[in-house]
Amino acid sequence: MPMIGLNLAKYSWQLGIFLIFFIFIIPIAFVISSLFGEYNENWNHLIDYVLANYVLNSLLLIFGVSILSLIFGVGSAWLITNYEFINKYWLEWALILPLAVPPYILAYTFTGLFDTFGSANELLRFFFNSNDDFSFFPNVRNIFGAIIVFSFTLYPYIYLTARMAFINQSRTLIEAGRILGLENNSIFFKLAIPMARPAIIAGLALVIMETLSDFGAVEHFAVPTFTIGIYRTWFGMYDLNTAMQLASLLLIFISFFLILERIERRKLSYSYASSTFKTVKKHKLKGYKNLLAFLFCFTPLFIGFLVPMMEISNWAINYTSENFFSDIFLKSFINTVILGILAGIICTLFAFFFNFLKRFETGSYLKGISFLLSMGYSIPGLVLAVGIIQFFSLLDNNFLSSCLNLILTGSIVGLLLAYIIKSYALANNSIESGYERINYAIDDVSLSLKVSKFKIFFQVHVPLLKTSILTSLLLVISEVIKELPATLILRPFNFDTLAVTTYIYAAEERMFEAATPAIMIVLIGLVPIFFLSRIIRESRPGKT
Amino acid sequence: MKSKYSMKFIVLFIGNLLFSNFLLVDEEVNVYTSRHYDSDTQLYEDFTEETGIKVNIISAKGKALIERLRSEGANSPADVFITVDAGNLWKVQDYGLFTAIKSKKIESTVPKIYRDENNEWIALAKRARVIFFNKGKYSFEDLENLSYEDLSSENWRNKLAIRSSNNLYNQSLVASLIARYGEEYTENWAKGLVKNFSRKPQGNDRAQIIAVANNEADLAIANSYYLGLMLSGKKGEKQLSAGKKVNILFPSQKTNGAHINISGGGILKASKNYENAVKFLEFMVSEKAQKHLVENTYEYPINSKVKPSKIISQFGTDFKEDSLNVSSFGKFNSAALKLMDRVGWQ
Repeated sequence: MPMIGLNLAKYSWQLGIFLIFFIFIIPIAFVISSLFGEYNENWNHLIDYVLANYVLNSLLLIFGVSILSLIFGVGSAWLITNYEFINKYWLEWALILPLAVPPYILAYTFTGLFDTFGSANELLRFFFNSNDDFSFFPNVRNIFGAIIVFSFTLYPYIYLTARMAFINQSRTLIEAGRILGLENNSIFFKLAIPMARPAIIAGLALVIMETLSDFGAVEHFAVPTFTIGIYRTWFGMYDLNTAMQLASLLLIFISFFLILERIERRKLSYSYASSTFKTVKKHKLKGYKNLLAFLFCFTPLFIGFLVPMMEISNWAINYTSENFFSDIFLKSFINTVILGILAGIICTLFAFFFNFLKRFETGSYLKGISFLLSMGYSIPGLVLAVGIIQFFSLLDNNFLSSCLNLILTGSIVGLLLAYIIKSYALANNSIESGYERINYAIDDVSLSLKVSKFKIFFQVHVPLLKTSILTSLLLVISEVIKELPATLILRPFNFDTLAVTTYIYAAEERMFEAATPAIMIVLIGLVPIFFLSRIIRESRPGKT
Repeated sequence: MKSKYSMKFIVLFIGNLLFSNFLLVDEEVNVYTSRHYDSDTQLYEDFTEETGIKVNIISAKGKALIERLRSEGANSPADVFITVDAGNLWKVQDYGLFTAIKSKKIESTVPKIYRDENNEWIALAKRARVIFFNKGKYSFEDLENLSYEDLSSENWRNKLAIRSSNNLYNQSLVASLIARYGEEYTENWAKGLVKNFSRKPQGNDRAQIIAVANNEADLAIANSYYLGLMLSGKKGEKQLSAGKKVNILFPSQKTNGAHINISGGGILKASKNYENAVKFLEFMVSEKAQKHLVENTYEYPINSKVKPSKIISQFGTDFKEDSLNVSSFGKFNSAALKLMDRVGWQ
């Protein structure tokens, strides 16, 4: 208290970061502010006829997706970290490949394959020489189809966090369990899972948020979820205000999950006994168990990655485009890559700064801001875009255009802001969990040795967090590459990204033309994932 | 080597940015459009070649673009707004964002019912929402005088394919019925219609036509030009052979005529290139551009000197069009959507 002057100087740069965070939050605030506005008669209609259905469908969807993605995410992580089986070496990194496939693209390929006249049905009909309209597969355009699509594209988030947690689990504890007579099953359910629960829930929170904010896949499958309701209210009733109120309710709902995740995370701190790492001695599986383990890990990879890639390639071959490497295509390619890298760097930097500050500050304002910003991940892209447009227009119309002759709306800044808000949660999750693994004692020792915080940041934290920083960067990039609805409306003139190009064709179900940019989205998405997988391979305890 | 490439990337990227609204070149026209057809891009290039005016494009969903226009207000860089549904045009006008298009050329080319009375927007092309049936299953005699109203009768139980009520074209069709008959009648009609669905609404218009070709449904309601696209062969063998199996029936020929929707555009109040915008719209309804449109998108021309593409005119050109003013689609859009919610049209 007595050193207020000193404190001001000392904290001025923190104030700067606080301000920048504040700017990031304004678009979210614009959306939420609708809650304090007027509620018009469209609410009566929503409540009387459709709202219950939207809520029910969304709940069913996240319930199904949670179960399925937990089974495959946690199950495969456990098998990979503790057992030796055929093809394990490449499965370990291949399991994250589905992250490169946006849910909407998997949805398109599913209908392309399994509709009555889809290629999978035609192939089977050819083999079995059966009736022209006999369908081997049930209709996928329903909530079950949607559950499969989301589970198999999003489970890698759980796989990534769970695997990390399993690797870092104290071997001594597991061995003690074994000595005390616990079976493999009991070790998994009574020791490993409870200890890894915070990490698993952190991954699950991302899966749920992404599922709830999706529009493309649920629209394609005609599943009336809450997001569909938001769009119908806006587009069909011309009622943006009510649509934003609905979006705010969705945010409130999601914040429950985020709070849950926070609470779980707080429990995390005890579970790392950092000095007791021991190289895991892997149990070698034999016979049918060997095959079963392989099949279990191969299934999500097959459905979430190999199947869509085969189908898209099939389309691309059918449509030999003369403009495969056209100007537009090349430009959208470059735009996508550069935007992804820029957003990745900015997001990671801020997540890093923020978590660094949080380590020395107990002030709850920082946590509040970070919490709000993390919610951005679950705002449907188009609604977020409206928040940004309203915010920028306010700036433009009031001072920027008159004073500086500058227009922010429709510039690249809006796009970047959207990406940062949309993917901050990913960056924060990686950096935060990285920081949790750094013992506070390290900071205390450094501080007592009179090392400045600045130096701690660069010389202690950066090297220790190398993996987390890279993970954050790569996750954000792979997210930005896939982002569609906000990009569509915020972009400058004549500015395409690969996702936009794909959408423009796919929206008219011109899948052959959509195939080329779709493949490129996946291929570019594979680059960060390739690096991620290298991180995974190198991230064995003992190596860091 | 490496740095040379990355330099090239950066230069290209910055070049890309410069063509956004930061750099205002003299001769250009900025277009917000919800038509994303490749063939349109070619049309814009033709316009630039003819006039030297560069066309800058942002394409996105109509409603989202309207919101962007509204927020940008007087600072909006947009000169022209183009969309595929009359309802959207009505909404932009309702927000007071359009300004009158002063052009003798346009007035003499575009029929009065296909432009606003103050010329704040004009149609660029027409499409009819029609009935498709399988040639192998029905003949024209079987379906004579079939009207939209008839489609909700018990005769067609579980026999119709139509897409979701999320779709603007369906909202406009229902809005047109509300405009004519009022909500009560239309709600009863829609109740019957939903009972007649052969499956949960899914896919786009083309998917409905394919359902009829494959005998998954007896009748499909879809926009006329989709069949043109299928028959053109541009969409692959499968769609071509499906297209050959179906025929178009223009509904309500003895009563109000087939439901017509438009693809259209207008000039924005905030426009900083008004002259160029007028030239652009004049070009869009010119014979040359209209010919290009009809041959690529298979819509019906708005310029009477141009004939529809042969692919689509083989199904008839002298059908009766519904003369209801298309601006009523926008007026009753919200009512239509709520009505569809009430009757459980997904």
